[in-house]
Amino acid sequence: MIPFDWVEPRSFAEAVASLDPEDPTVRPVAGGTALMLMMKAGVFTPTRLISLAQIEPHYSAITVEKNGALRIGAMATLSALEQSSAVAEHFPVITETLLTLSNVRVRNVACVGGALAHGDPHMDLPPLFAALGAKVLVRGPAGVREIDVDSLYAGYYETMLAKDELIAEVFVPALNGAKSAYMKCTSRSADDWPALGLAVRFEVEGHAHIRNPRLVVSAATEKVTRLTQAEDILKNAEADSVVLKRAGEAAAEEVTLLGDAHGSASYKRELLRVYLARAIRHALAGKSAQ
Amino acid sequence: MSETRTIRFTLNGRSESVAIQPHWNLVELLHHFGLTGARESCGQGLCGVCTVLVDDVAVSGCLYLAVRVDGKKITTVEHLDEGGTLSPVQQAFIECGAFQCGFCTPGFVLMTHQLLARNPDPSDDEIRHYLSGNLCRCAAYPEIVEAVKLAAKLQKQAR
Repeated sequence: MIPFDWVEPRSFAEAVASLDPEDPTVRPVAGGTALMLMMKAGVFTPTRLISLAQIEPHYSAITVEKNGALRIGAMATLSALEQSSAVAEHFPVITETLLTLSNVRVRNVACVGGALAHGDPHMDLPPLFAALGAKVLVRGPAGVREIDVDSLYAGYYETMLAKDELIAEVFVPALNGAKSAYMKCTSRSADDWPALGLAVRFEVEGHAHIRNPRLVVSAATEKVTRLTQAEDILKNAEADSVVLKRAGEAAAEEVTLLGDAHGSASYKRELLRVYLARAIRHALAGKSAQ
Repeated sequence: MSETRTIRFTLNGRSESVAIQPHWNLVELLHHFGLTGARESCGQGLCGVCTVLVDDVAVSGCLYLAVRVDGKKITTVEHLDEGGTLSPVQQAFIECGAFQCGFCTPGFVLMTHQLLARNPDPSDDEIRHYLSGNLCRCAAYPEIVEAVKLAAKLQKQAR
């Protein structure tokens, strides 16, 4: 790798002040696992990295509030989130997703804020948090703002974050009995980057009447994307095989799918068609959250 | 730009201080100290050959900048037989023949230590899941799973 400067601010505010909105070679780094891959591949050559490792420890806190909502500090590691018993109790879908996200060592180092800010559409947490209706709390020189995770992404590896803004916290609203699932399809080995990621969240009335569905696709698209037409089909419908098939077909038609090393666009279209029903059924059968 | 930095850390129980470049990764730092148990193989955090413990947490040394270990405790596979006795995990790997070429073994051994520290009696599924980020191109996986189970038994007996 090419040499660069390393800066370790002691506070979040100092970290924000160390960023340079005009210089793309100055970047914040949390766990650094994803950024290291880019640096080693030579696709990112920093002049200066602003390490967030030494900022105030409360940015690593994970808290489930009394009403069941979840707050995750941006510097919480994926392992900390995976091992949180409160998260397992209130958001089993998050724990389940983390178990197959990369491997133990990467989860020990990678941080939640970094996973959301990186903008790689193949990652598992962005579609899940988008489906769960999560928001990120973002702080820059001008102050604090909130961005819904489902509108955080502008394109392939592009986010709505300014270069001098940092994610401070992720807020996930309470599930309140809603069903949720994240499924991915890896086409080469189980721990590969996915060819398709699909996250769903919905409420159920009666046996299987679906209310307020949120369906989010990733990995097969250039960015995390809501499947609004498929959502419209599922809304207030009974999730029988006919409806699920129609929703899968609508999903496969409404987004532009991108082929890559994990599968061609037409293969991914077929995956999306099939996995939509699978994810809904998995959510219906899954553990209910508190 | 890119000044040399002096970092201080504990390496296998000894205090160390060294001037490094910020772009060194942890594997490069260890090689500087003549420790070659952790090696860079895939270079992408997938294979586990570069496994190192930082403050008793397993990391991929190839994806971990050396500058981050300032003030921390590093443990490598070389520390496991300190005092001349193999650890129960090392004994179990030998007993079960849980390797052929041995290139991946240091990583598997360290990860097994981590697994048994968290879960002293893991099931086959838990073993396979925990070690899914370690690759053995000789495919000694069945023997490795046996070795982990034997190590769990040996550790229990030692207590």
